[in-house]
Amino acid sequence: MATDTDVLVLGGGSTGCGIARDLAMRGLEVTLLERGTLTDGTTGRMHGLLHSGGRYAVSDQASARECIEENRILREIAGHCVEETGGLFVKRPEDSDAYFQEKLEGCRECDIPATVLSGREAREIEPYLATDVERAIEVPDAAVDPFRLCVANAMDATAHGARIETHAEVIDLLRDGDDVFGVTVRHGAGPGKRTDVPTGTVEEITADYVVNATGAWAGAIAGMADLEVEVRPSKGVMTIMNVRQVDTVINRCRPKGDADIIVPHETTAILGTTDEEVDDPDDYPEERWEVDAMIDTLAELVPILREARTIRSFWGVRPLYEPPETGTTDPTDITREFFLLDHADRDGVSGITSIVGGKLTTYRAMAEAISDHVCAELGVNASCETADEPLPGSERLETLEAAMDEFGLRSPVARRSSQRLGSRTREVLERYDPNPVICQCEGVTRAEVQDAIAQSGSDLNAVRIRTRASMGNCQGGFCCQELACELHPAYDAETVRDAFDELFEERWKGQRHALWGEQLSQAMLTYALHTTTMNRDGDPAGDSQAIDYAAFDGGR
Amino acid sequence: MSDADNPTDDASDEFEPIQVFPEAEEMDLRPGADNCYKCSTCDTNCPVAEVDDEFPGPKFQGPEQWRLKRQDDHDIDESVMKCSNCMRCDSACPSSVPLSQMHNTARGEYVENHMSKFSREYVRNRILANYRRLAPLAATFPRTANFVMGLSITRWLGEKTLGITSEREFPAFATETFRDWWRKRGGAKVQNEDQKIAYFHGCYSNYNTPEVAKALVRVYEHFGYEVLVPPQSCSGTPMFANGMLEDARRAAETNVRELAAALEDGADVIASCSSCSMSIRQEYPELFDFEDTEDVAANTWDALEYLRVHEDLEGELEGASVEGFDDFAYHAPCHARNQGLDGQTVELLDVIDGVDAHDVGDSCSGISGTYGWKAENYETSMKIGEEMFDHMDTADAETGLTECPTCSMQMEHGTGYEIRHPLEVLEAALFSDRPETA
Amino acid sequence: MAIEDDVLVIGGGLAGATAALAAAERDVRVRLVTYKQSTLRHASGLIDVLGYAPTDDGPLTNPYDALESLPDSHPYRLVGEAAIRKALAFFDELAGAAYAGSHTDANALVPTAAGTIKPTARYPTATAPGLASDRRDVLLVGFETLPGFDAPLAAAHLEAAGVPFDVRGATCSFPGIRRDDAKVTRYAHLLDVDEAIAVDAGEIGVRAALIEAVEGHLEGEARVGFPALLGDEHADEVRTDLADGLGVDVFEVPMGPPSLPGIRLEDLLYDALEDAGVRVTSGVPVVEYETAGASEDRIDHVVVDRNGAQVPHRATQYVLATGGLVGKGVQSERQRVYEPIFDCHVSHADDRYEWFVDGVFDEQPYARFGLSADGELRPLDADGKPEFRNLRAAGSVLGGYDYAAEKSGSGVSLATGYVAGTHAGEAVDEVIR
Repeated sequence: MATDTDVLVLGGGSTGCGIARDLAMRGLEVTLLERGTLTDGTTGRMHGLLHSGGRYAVSDQASARECIEENRILREIAGHCVEETGGLFVKRPEDSDAYFQEKLEGCRECDIPATVLSGREAREIEPYLATDVERAIEVPDAAVDPFRLCVANAMDATAHGARIETHAEVIDLLRDGDDVFGVTVRHGAGPGKRTDVPTGTVEEITADYVVNATGAWAGAIAGMADLEVEVRPSKGVMTIMNVRQVDTVINRCRPKGDADIIVPHETTAILGTTDEEVDDPDDYPEERWEVDAMIDTLAELVPILREARTIRSFWGVRPLYEPPETGTTDPTDITREFFLLDHADRDGVSGITSIVGGKLTTYRAMAEAISDHVCAELGVNASCETADEPLPGSERLETLEAAMDEFGLRSPVARRSSQRLGSRTREVLERYDPNPVICQCEGVTRAEVQDAIAQSGSDLNAVRIRTRASMGNCQGGFCCQELACELHPAYDAETVRDAFDELFEERWKGQRHALWGEQLSQAMLTYALHTTTMNRDGDPAGDSQAIDYAAFDGGR
Repeated sequence: MSDADNPTDDASDEFEPIQVFPEAEEMDLRPGADNCYKCSTCDTNCPVAEVDDEFPGPKFQGPEQWRLKRQDDHDIDESVMKCSNCMRCDSACPSSVPLSQMHNTARGEYVENHMSKFSREYVRNRILANYRRLAPLAATFPRTANFVMGLSITRWLGEKTLGITSEREFPAFATETFRDWWRKRGGAKVQNEDQKIAYFHGCYSNYNTPEVAKALVRVYEHFGYEVLVPPQSCSGTPMFANGMLEDARRAAETNVRELAAALEDGADVIASCSSCSMSIRQEYPELFDFEDTEDVAANTWDALEYLRVHEDLEGELEGASVEGFDDFAYHAPCHARNQGLDGQTVELLDVIDGVDAHDVGDSCSGISGTYGWKAENYETSMKIGEEMFDHMDTADAETGLTECPTCSMQMEHGTGYEIRHPLEVLEAALFSDRPETA
Repeated sequence: MAIEDDVLVIGGGLAGATAALAAAERDVRVRLVTYKQSTLRHASGLIDVLGYAPTDDGPLTNPYDALESLPDSHPYRLVGEAAIRKALAFFDELAGAAYAGSHTDANALVPTAAGTIKPTARYPTATAPGLASDRRDVLLVGFETLPGFDAPLAAAHLEAAGVPFDVRGATCSFPGIRRDDAKVTRYAHLLDVDEAIAVDAGEIGVRAALIEAVEGHLEGEARVGFPALLGDEHADEVRTDLADGLGVDVFEVPMGPPSLPGIRLEDLLYDALEDAGVRVTSGVPVVEYETAGASEDRIDHVVVDRNGAQVPHRATQYVLATGGLVGKGVQSERQRVYEPIFDCHVSHADDRYEWFVDGVFDEQPYARFGLSADGELRPLDADGKPEFRNLRAAGSVLGGYDYAAEKSGSGVSLATGYVAGTHAGEAVDEVIR
């Protein structure tokens, strides 16, 4: 039996969630399908920079203009996802003066506010900057939490009647002649919230229109309907520091190159990145040299990075696209603009459009463009409101109380909670008493964890991205167990066990790239705690081989 | 790193004055959180968190609070004022997190930004922290001062107006300060170009227990050292504990300058109070960057430790006996423990015939300098001390022994024991006659 | 002038304390220098000897049966079964009534806070009534403010593990705890001193209040398990009071870090060190060493850093028991793994991407980092020769075994500490000073 919807949005990244919100606000019935957890693809694997556009002010001015425009909008509608850090393009002695000048002029041409600072002024803002940094350009870069942003879009879409399905993998596009009319989806066996469909089932969903917003995976999805989309996936590493060495976005002011940006992100600083084309966005090498390059090259800008602790590294795949005849060889040179590929125009197949390219900063504009297109196709007359309506959590931010004594939380925990929850702070925090801290590294309390569980079910990775629990220096060593406990009794012991295992494995995955010094000690402590004190590796629960209890010491 | 280490040869840019010190004005201790692996060993060593759950423990106050900070976040949880600055977390941490530095800095920020300078608490803390400034007045009229301080009405007033607990008796002021004695004595009796020490006596042995300071002089002169007594200010310990970092900075500046001059003169710095030596050795380099701070820190020693390493102290004490002392109940102050000095006194006294020193365990005495003087902390302070009191009560000893002046107040207050300093025992062992008094 | 002793043990964990105590069995002067507090405070307080062997799937019933299956470089193979047994006997003597399990070679299965069970050879008396081979029904009790131990979840997990008894869980609030972030030492202290707390009808001791909070949850179970925070100094008294009040056996489920059972074990060891006359210097690191004159293979003295002052310590024999990656006796950088005091050889792959494997619980190379040693536990250099004639190593600074996967941590620390300390003590006389 097939279910039907107006529009099917494929992909639960920022673009997909943005589209779902936009269309739902325009009154359409929307279903969004995501293979894993929201943000699992490229959105959750970026450095969290809300571009001022300065980065593209020389090479790609169209993108730069788009960025500054959206940057201004997101500060308004997503205040609780954005930290106004400001950004610096810093110049070392060996970096070109001419390029510095070009950058400055480029910014001005694109309407990006830009101020020149002396090295000393830059160091007053960021004391850990290298003493030989000569000059800097100050621009309105900011830090954005992609998880929170994406989830807020999804929450609002749901509030407007959209159906959001995670762990739902599209296994086929339904095509009848020259018309795509739906998908076949397999609902995953992993943990997660599936209120509509039992786990493990295959479902057909038909729709008036299908939007392929799967980014780097757009080619694979289009291929299911024998359509060709030449995405040029390009990988980049991001290395996460344990603490913020800087509170301002630091860019290296030079034309291009790996390892040229440091983004302060929540409690951490993220070093980025590399740019290497890959064949398969699901399978590419994650290499040591990339991590080493982040540390060694960026230490030229911020020398204490050389000795500082990194807690993990991760890779993301950019969904780069350029029209087939452009033929750019170096992925760094491929435009960051987005493209709307209407398969009716392009391939003569109606009912589906793919959206590729672009970047998180412009997700809303991309969503607006494709929503306009869909509405035109479906003959719906409704205008876009996403640039004016704040996202859930960002309403009335100015009234957010700084003093949160009544929740009995210590001030930094209260502060961090309100930075994450925005205008939802009160409704979330007043729900639990006692309300102990579950994740000490990030200051996440039981109330916030329970709020996330209410949204996302037993998927602890989904809880993680909503709360930041387990994303601090112990990388879940001390709180995976606590988080799993919070699932009980709403979920049974077996579900809790699976959810724990999945989170624990996920946390280990990224840490492997940070295994030296303090983080290796941390990893050993985590390993010892879970294998020795808890004996998780020898856990007989669910094991077919029964233990002969009587053969062991009975104590008496 | 300073510009001096890594000069920029950029001439094209606008003029920048040459800098001697790094530009960071405020202490950013977030990188210190890199060492923390969340094991909570610090918490299990915190004597305050054990008896008072309003205090969330050193891990939270230290690496967690710092890690959760952004440059423009200035709120510090007020619970940091409950930290007694015993610094046990420092020596506990298996991963070398600079916990006490984080606490000192956070406390300083809290007092600076969030405590009203007109509040009773601030005024009281300022008075307690600046004992050094009040003591000279009292010492000028010691008998009157002792009389007035001892009046119950004074203590009652102290509690009502200032929040200084009325449960405690103020320490008595000596009729003659150590420095007066030293001056009258005509200074050093031994001259020795090759072996000199600069004695950092601190406030307490100057104003309250000059017998300890005199013992130090006699002992060091016995070993042939020339003793210098340089001008000095308070070590800063009570100021750190009360978040009065500016007061501490001024005091430290004087001390570093004077002690560096003594080093220049060929002397090593010796302290008889374990908190004074702790402050100079650890807190100065952690918090201040005057010229010579590191040098002074690296050449400052505890009185017994120095003799032990530089002289054959054990050989000298072998077979010695002391009169006038019975067995001791010894408490190692937290600040001695942090310097690796916890076992030293018991080891040395073991060598002397006729006395035994019984270690009364590794708990904190609970007073932690000015902490236990505050009315709101009195009860907590006594709860922390309970374990030590129990052990002292059951110890087979007649006299208490410790290096720390405020621990000795607490020991006396909690058990009624008379409390002495190890230097006094050492003096008695090295000299058959009675201690020099005139 | 150096501070002189016969044997100098560096490191104050289980291995270091055991080595010092074993050396002190001889008539020699022993000093133990420990920088920071040991990882005992992280550990469960259980004395595991060997819970799993490479050749076996399930938990080992008898650890001694599997010793032969361990690789040659394993510390157990270096010291041999007899030494392991002697070390255990040494510990049993030391621990007295505080530990149980010495009546049999068989492992005991202890329920954990996660609801799994783990094999161990000796366990605190406080844990004894909780063993999983005991068929009596169990009630587990957790507390709302301690999110790491969800008693009903642990109970459900234990049932899934097939334990031969019925087990239920209940969650209460802990009387007298006012803040949600109180430390475990606070809970323990409340019980230790039986602090009076205000209730409707006046005041009541915390122990009585806890009994009141729990008794309503009992449904005929014969034993009740609490997270391991039932007192510190007066733990036995606390447990007895609770057991009497509830009319059932009371036991602790190991927790941590931080771990009260680990802290109690540490106290027990340090009391023993004091009784044995071992001199303890704590809070300061050994930072370097000097060899004796021309002979590069003898350590003459080590240097202890006391907040900047360099204090030499001389002994004739040295034991290195500074721990592994967690205790910081083994440290690492991006390119190397090293032992920081004597720079003893640590074997490891050059490429740090070979220090781990992908499955978190698979055979992890990093878990085996440490020194290799000869039969007397002298650390060996890259060529297999002793680094120094008078240096021995004990505990997790040794490599070649994965204590976490094997559940052998305490056993190896005891056995190697005992052997290294005994050899060091004996060797004092052989050396002309």
